[in-house]
Amino acid sequence: MTTTPLVRRHHRDPVALAILKNRFEAIARKMAHTLLKTGRSGVLNTARDFSCGILTADGELVTGAECYPIHVLRGPDLMHATMKAFHPDLRPGDAVLHNSPYHGNTHAADHAIMIPVFDDRGRHRFTTLVKAHQADCGNSIPTTYVGTARDVYEEGAVIFPAVLVQRDYRDIDDIIRMCEMRIRVPEQWRGDYLASLGAARIGEQELLELGAERGWDALEDHTRAWFDYSERRMVSALGRLASGRAVAHGTHDAIPGTPPDGIRVQADVTIDAAAGRVSIDLTDNPDCMPNGLNLSQGCALSAAIVGIFNCIDHTVPPNAGSLRRIEVKLRENCCVGIPRHPTSVSVATTNLSDRLSCAVQRAVAAIDPRFGMADGGPPFPPVAGVLSGFEPDTGAPYCNGILFAGSGGPGNPYTDGWVTLLSMGNAGMPQMHSIEVAEIQHPIVIHDRAIVPDTGGDGRRRGAPGTLTRFGPTAAPVEVGYVSDGTVHPAEGVGGGLPGGPSRQWRVRADGSEEILPTYGQVVLQPGESLISITAAGGGCGDPLEREVERVAEDVAEGWVTPARARAVYAVVCAADGTIDPTATAAERAARRAAA
Amino acid sequence: MACRIAVDIGGTFSDVAIEFEDGSIAIHKAPSTPDDPVAGVLAALDAAAARNGTSRRAILAAAEVFIYTSTKAINAIVTGSAARTAFVTTAGHPDILLLREGGRTEPFDYTVPFPAPLVPRRLTFQVTERIDAAGRILTPLDPAGLERLAEAVKRERIEAVAVCLLWSIVNPAHEQAVGRFLAERFPDLPVTLSHELNPCLREYRRASSACLDAALKPVMTAHLADFEARLRQEGFDGTALAVTSQGGVVPIAAMARAPIHALNSGPAMAPVAGRAFAAADAGSNTAVVIDTGGTTFDVSLVADGRLPATQELWIGGRYRGHITGFPSVDVSSVGAGGGSIAAVDEGGLLQVGPASAGAVPGPACYGRGGTAATVTDAALVLGYLDPAGFLGGRMPLDPALARTAIEPLAAALDIGIEAAAAAILEVAGEQMVQAIEEVTIRRGVDPARAVLVAGGGAAGLGAVELGRRLGCRAVLFPSMAPAMSAVGALLSDMLREVRVTRFARLDSLSAADLERIGADLSARLAAETAGDGAGAALEYFLEGRYERQIWEIEIPLGAGIPGPGEMAAVRAAFDATHARLFGIGDPRSAVEVVSWGLRARTVQRAGRELPRAEAEPPRPGPRRRRAVFAGVGAVAVPVLTPADIGSPVPGPLIVESAYTTIVVPPGAEIGVTAHGLMATIRRASGEIGPREAAA
Repeated sequence: MTTTPLVRRHHRDPVALAILKNRFEAIARKMAHTLLKTGRSGVLNTARDFSCGILTADGELVTGAECYPIHVLRGPDLMHATMKAFHPDLRPGDAVLHNSPYHGNTHAADHAIMIPVFDDRGRHRFTTLVKAHQADCGNSIPTTYVGTARDVYEEGAVIFPAVLVQRDYRDIDDIIRMCEMRIRVPEQWRGDYLASLGAARIGEQELLELGAERGWDALEDHTRAWFDYSERRMVSALGRLASGRAVAHGTHDAIPGTPPDGIRVQADVTIDAAAGRVSIDLTDNPDCMPNGLNLSQGCALSAAIVGIFNCIDHTVPPNAGSLRRIEVKLRENCCVGIPRHPTSVSVATTNLSDRLSCAVQRAVAAIDPRFGMADGGPPFPPVAGVLSGFEPDTGAPYCNGILFAGSGGPGNPYTDGWVTLLSMGNAGMPQMHSIEVAEIQHPIVIHDRAIVPDTGGDGRRRGAPGTLTRFGPTAAPVEVGYVSDGTVHPAEGVGGGLPGGPSRQWRVRADGSEEILPTYGQVVLQPGESLISITAAGGGCGDPLEREVERVAEDVAEGWVTPARARAVYAVVCAADGTIDPTATAAERAARRAAA
Repeated sequence: MACRIAVDIGGTFSDVAIEFEDGSIAIHKAPSTPDDPVAGVLAALDAAAARNGTSRRAILAAAEVFIYTSTKAINAIVTGSAARTAFVTTAGHPDILLLREGGRTEPFDYTVPFPAPLVPRRLTFQVTERIDAAGRILTPLDPAGLERLAEAVKRERIEAVAVCLLWSIVNPAHEQAVGRFLAERFPDLPVTLSHELNPCLREYRRASSACLDAALKPVMTAHLADFEARLRQEGFDGTALAVTSQGGVVPIAAMARAPIHALNSGPAMAPVAGRAFAAADAGSNTAVVIDTGGTTFDVSLVADGRLPATQELWIGGRYRGHITGFPSVDVSSVGAGGGSIAAVDEGGLLQVGPASAGAVPGPACYGRGGTAATVTDAALVLGYLDPAGFLGGRMPLDPALARTAIEPLAAALDIGIEAAAAAILEVAGEQMVQAIEEVTIRRGVDPARAVLVAGGGAAGLGAVELGRRLGCRAVLFPSMAPAMSAVGALLSDMLREVRVTRFARLDSLSAADLERIGADLSARLAAETAGDGAGAALEYFLEGRYERQIWEIEIPLGAGIPGPGEMAAVRAAFDATHARLFGIGDPRSAVEVVSWGLRARTVQRAGRELPRAEAEPPRPGPRRRRAVFAGVGAVAVPVLTPADIGSPVPGPLIVESAYTTIVVPPGAEIGVTAHGLMATIRRASGEIGPREAAA
């Protein structure tokens, strides 16, 4: 990737720089607002599983303010290059539909709309990007995560490698009709397409106004200055870390197509604080597997970078400038590298991506224990999968991503885990389903949803607990598709922190008997049955004996931690009424430290 | 002489505005007295009475209405001093307040802790019961659970109870049963039932509403009753009203029944006042109303005479605080006030705010030990503020301290001190421009159509420049701006709002359905407004969305529920509104209605003109001061008082009044209006704004 040899001191107008930063972010926010409020599927209008960004005419990310990190940190640059290579004649009014993971995209379920923005003399200046996870993308089975697909053919998604979908601001109807024939609940897809296109066009409109107001050349100058500024921020953020090298691992639970003990990936991280650089070598990892867990190139790059951004000063802007300081080494035909067509990468954005981000975070902690963090709870449980079936009263089909609950966030040097983090790659930005909205949208009843005590990985800063959800159909069968993780290999702790509680899922039959469900499943629930899902908890950060007694007391009082576990792990002793016994606690902690 | 009184009791000052029959208005400020809020109000009334040669008792006796607003409710929530509240929920769902609806901002910022639930888990009680989306009882209410609840109420010394059960909006039987049980066992315990307070879809929002309301009841109910009783003892014999977050007034007794509506009441009044001034002085029904204080910049948009509304009002920040669950007047707040701190970060970028020097230590130039450069320091360095005359001379400023504070920034930016000061104001101004564009353009309103109405002590420093950058038609400085909320309260209408949730496709509604909805709304309104008096204008509306969307938009329906013959027009209005808001309409999609609402508006001041404030006395002698303007440099500009200004005077100049300083840059001019001053940009001058350059 490109790097600049020296940190340049720019004498550009700092005021204009600050102003333009705000303007670009405001445009992205406006795009995101439009998409959230107009999207049709739950994945968009509730889970907010989309990103709205702005790229330069060279495909460099200007702002990721309204984005999932896994969607955009890297990848859009590759997608943009594809668009320009395949369409050398781009012109105003064009829009491109791009979901090909073999050309920079995350995975086939993320449909991206890219709109090149031209100045009044016809010069391509910026590109707006709207990437939105679809409720369905035409896979062979009703889920957007086909974990066991041997290849993209078995996966079944329709692939659009930067395909022109609008010319002269009008739909190319051939493309729309193809999608309507191959994507489940076509009117839902079409509504989401309209919402994405609307958001990208609103971004275009705003950029046109900004260019007219500020002048296009000035805007490009400022964009370059903004990258240089961001690079300087990255250099100084990395400068606060210790230098060193560490290798950390993460293991995804076994599913069909992985080795029997699961798939183990590693991140080899080198920090050069003085030079303000970090390098992540992912080349020494297994080859691509005959399943959908493989990462796309965009996801492999982004997931590694997420691990770094999670560990440094969070105010460093994530854009092409700060990214100059992060080198990620990949190899071809590697499960966390560059997959060759027709390798399936159906589940690329979530499962192995999170394992990779977490390995990077723990490697950073190994180099400098003041930074880094534990693993977030491995995603994605059945309650964050895909629900499909037919409405019992009308027979109308439905197919929708759901987000009833998700994994817990990692303990980190600053805070206990974020309870609704869901995954490292989307960083808690999605909104979860309201019980009532979920029950209007689907023929189900959600009987329980509550956090599970004693599951958060113990530590000085505790991982967020798992959540238990129980739901079942009302009057017609419901199909649930999911690819989970974290049952055999739960979230790891860091710096003496303990692992988070594992994910688990089982079916409760009408007669009350139970059936454990596998890590990967496409499960049909009959009326009278229910599915129970416990999501994976986050790992702990730091020694539990160093957790402040008051925090443990609050955890006990609030039912996050039982008195028994408070004593066993935190050496905090509770009286019969549940309050802390300070004397006994001091003695217990002293004895435990002496023994250590 | 008959009069109308409004008070706005803030943390520092209590503002009183008295409107007299002859159309004059008197405004007074007195220090707030938190231990006995009435005392501060009475002191302000004393001051008003003294100036008008009468007595407090006479003024109160002559008052037809007394309108109350205060920050008491919001303070109780923000400081955690509200009642010890229990939350009663459906068994299996104890974490509605903890999990909320998810959501997080700033993906890489792990320094922000996960927010604690509004009611702790240990005070959350599950009762066994379940109703489904169709209102069918899946599990009957378990009486044993109620007994356990009663024990817990005693054991935990509970002061208020909020009840939110799943689907109570469709079938309230179980919530009502819990309510009856608690009323029987604990007759004096304040209880809020979610379906009664806020019958909206989405259990988190309803639960949050109910808990906020219940938590406020013990403190607010007694306080409001006491407040009214004290006024009556002092001779008041009129109607006691209170301001709501929705931008209207209700009888004070109604506020005591549902005190959640007091939460955002003060800020909600600024656009009410701004709307009136924009109409009266600039003939505009579209206004951007700003209020700049020491730490924040509040902005709201009045479009086509309508108050701005938001469906999501959060106390303590989006995803980090608590949602009120009610529509509210939409007032956005950004950390850009006079005390906002400027700094150059390690990448060389100038940042202003959100950190603020506050009142203590305050800006460096206050000489109270503050060393950080603030917006006020920058204004002082540029000569915009009078070091001796700030706040009427009560707060002398030290320009040397301001320069010292800005010096390191200038060095880091490699520019002069005055250039750095100008840059600080420009960046602060840009944040304000952003905040305004967010509320205008997002709603499809071009700020160029709007009049900017400037309120608050620090507004005058940058408001004219702000108006120029936005291309606004004019910038108004109403002389009543220092008590914007109290004045807004005087001008506001009695406003009641009820709604019912009826989930249905728009095209499936029969005449009978529509009639029933209309009857339900009328019944709810009648129950709510018993005693309000007659003459309310009715405004019906629906909240709907395209099929499979989940976020509703509001479509006004006029003075009655439409009949089947009018549904095509309603449908067309939906498509047009969606297109206006989001760039696309979709006539091919079905429209689903989630809820129906009815607003009853009773105009309080029918037929009256906007009142006129007393003029400030002129200060003697012409004055000049050196001030620095972008593109012009340092010039000695005239310093005038509002009384000096008649027909428009061209900038550059500075206007100083008792409460604010208005900077009029070159290319703008300022003149007098009926209710204050108005600045406009002279298009013919050499100074061309970006919008015109683009045209």
